[in-house]
Amino acid sequence: MSSTRRRPGLSAFSRSQLTQSQYTTHGQTLRASQTAALSSQLEVFQSLLHTFSVTHAKDIRADPGFRAEFARMCNAIGVDPLASSQKPRTAAAAGKGGGGGSLWAQMLGSSVQDFYFELAVRVVEVCRATRGENGGLMEVGEVRRRVKRGPRGGVAAVGVGMEEVTDDDILRAVKSLEPLGSGFAVIGLGSRQMIRSVPKELNTDQSMVLEALQVLGFVTVSMLRDNLGWEGARAMAVTQDLVSDSLVWVDSQAGETEYWTPTFIHDTGGQ
Amino acid sequence: SPAPSMATAPTTAPSSSSSTAAISAQTPTTTFTATSSSPSTFPFPPHHTFPPFFTLQPNSSTRRTQLQLWTALILAYCRHTRTFRLAPIDAQDWPLFHNATLRRRLALRDIREVLSFMASTEGGGRAEWVSDAGKKAECWVYWRRPEEWAGLLEGWVDATGQRGAVLTLYELVEGDACRGQEWAGMDVELLQKCLQVLVKKGKAGIFGEEQPGVKFF
Repeated sequence: MSSTRRRPGLSAFSRSQLTQSQYTTHGQTLRASQTAALSSQLEVFQSLLHTFSVTHAKDIRADPGFRAEFARMCNAIGVDPLASSQKPRTAAAAGKGGGGGSLWAQMLGSSVQDFYFELAVRVVEVCRATRGENGGLMEVGEVRRRVKRGPRGGVAAVGVGMEEVTDDDILRAVKSLEPLGSGFAVIGLGSRQMIRSVPKELNTDQSMVLEALQVLGFVTVSMLRDNLGWEGARAMAVTQDLVSDSLVWVDSQAGETEYWTPTFIHDTGGQ
Repeated sequence: SPAPSMATAPTTAPSSSSSTAAISAQTPTTTFTATSSSPSTFPFPPHHTFPPFFTLQPNSSTRRTQLQLWTALILAYCRHTRTFRLAPIDAQDWPLFHNATLRRRLALRDIREVLSFMASTEGGGRAEWVSDAGKKAECWVYWRRPEEWAGLLEGWVDATGQRGAVLTLYELVEGDACRGQEWAGMDVELLQKCLQVLVKKGKAGIFGEEQPGVKFF
């Protein structure tokens, strides 16, 4: 024997290459079949969910608990339920009216999407009608109460599942309006959620005073000076800003001028 | 309790008043209590315990809303208490304009401003200053417009078979026959205003100086 080690020959080399490519092909085949299986499983799931929801659409519309759960699920998997999404995966879903549109429409049939659309329209109406009173800033609970009450002189909010509207639903409807650039947004003031319906941005000082107002109901220039350490001029500037934006009402029959938030109209002594 | 929510109180738009035809088609003896009710039973809305409600607002858009709210409140209150005529100097101490618990009141000049708004087109023409009572001393409050009253009166006359009969204006608002009707206790001067609506349409005639009477044709 001339050597103890056999150098790899051409045949060995081509053999390993064959094996390699066999493995590669096999791996690809595996992946492809797994993907296909997964894909078809998802399609089956989607189709079943769609069928279920179309059958029980009315109940789903009327059940705020379900809506909240569904929205939570969508958020957990990184999907915005109200945004428009791609074409449906199955022809079946398309045939059942799930073609295009938001995930709500695809998954649950168009009636749930209609629900949020109608709700958004009513929220816009309520905000527009009360803008003179509150400058375009209103607490979510108050928006909900007025949406349920229905438009003035018009038909009350019945027949569209509006009796079961929750604060959650209102917030979701408002969020769907944000991309329209109409000025609608949800603002947190302290522990309260406010619906803003005018495009005006609030600066820090204004936000702070509004937050204080949600707790106290009113402020005076002295209160701002004493508790926030502001100079008189700064305090007066903010209160005048809020008056100009019709965000506060003025009471000039107290010892010192009081600036009240209209959200307190319905908190105290009202029905 | 029958709380008149501000959202459903009479609106300021003139087009919202019912047509005369619709009113006269109703039976005159309607289901509400036609006797006047005490101010103490009036269900005040949430705004009435909101201190700034009694200060005329400096912001014009807030003020417009405030005037509309006061209009609706005044109309509802006057309807409740069967008040047809309001003199600011007297009314300023009513619970309507003076919330004693809150220690807030709508100032006299602001009461006049609200009533002037109500009398304007923007306010829906729901008030009218009494012409011969001195400048802004008294005003009619139209929680029903003269045209609506005319329709109600006509309907009642028909229902009681009094068409063609002569009725004195006095008995129309003070007599036994009108007891329980919504217009009972109405100022004769206002009644004349309302009847003029029918006179203009040729449906009634007023005559007599000493004891004015009306005949529905």
